[in-house]
Amino acid sequence: MMSIARAAKTILAGLCLMLLAACASGPKFSEVQEKLAARPADSGRIYVYRTAIIGAAVQPAVKLNGEVIGSAVPQGFFYVDRPAGTYEVSTATEVTRNLSLTLEPGQTRYVRLGISIGFVVGHVYPELVDDTVGSAEIQQCHYVASK
Amino acid sequence: MRYSIAALLLLLSGCAFDVIHLHQVPAHFEAAAGSAETWVLGADARIPLERGYATPLRQGTAWYRVGRTEQGDVYRTKDQVVTVQASNVHEAQLVLNGNLAVGFYLPVERTFTAADPPQQILRTPR
Repeated sequence: MMSIARAAKTILAGLCLMLLAACASGPKFSEVQEKLAARPADSGRIYVYRTAIIGAAVQPAVKLNGEVIGSAVPQGFFYVDRPAGTYEVSTATEVTRNLSLTLEPGQTRYVRLGISIGFVVGHVYPELVDDTVGSAEIQQCHYVASK
Repeated sequence: MRYSIAALLLLLSGCAFDVIHLHQVPAHFEAAAGSAETWVLGADARIPLERGYATPLRQGTAWYRVGRTEQGDVYRTKDQVVTVQASNVHEAQLVLNGNLAVGFYLPVERTFTAADPPQQILRTPR
């Protein structure tokens, strides 16, 4: 009969595997940065990334002006190029969280996906961060294709 | 006991997470023509809002005038991200009346959210 300690270890190992499986596994930003497609001259680029592993099972779709552009994968990033204009990034779990931002031609914006405690599931929320912060934090994130 | 648990669950399920909204009013924005007036923020500034909060403004950031609303002149900076937020986050631009920060213009929503109370800021020429 399996001892309690052994059962606990097995469960812990299983949880660790589940956590790892839930994280992004593509190449790191620092490895693919030079290979990313060039941005069209009249467009700006929006990077969306999530550093937090907490709440790894919670991976809502990320929408840009209502269109799904990716998922909030822990330690993952993706990007979209869009014409200059005004945009709304949104994520929804129990509640919908929105971020409104402007985009200029040639501009790069960094949107970090944070997570906070919810009633049943965590709340994933988008926040606009400084270029210096975003460009540093995204380095260790793994590429997840946008949709 | 069972009734207590049921009542608690009912109470919690009724909780609205989306409870705080910025107080916004529509604003008519007129873009600035010609060369932009610029200045540098001489000291860190925190602009309180009636509801929600704004990004603290950092000393040394350069600001330039982009237009005007009925509440005052609208300035933006490329040296830091400026947002106002409650349950949601909105990119924002600073609105000044002289050296008094009276609130923020939200360029996506085309609305104004007022400082409460307005704050004096230290502007230095660039």
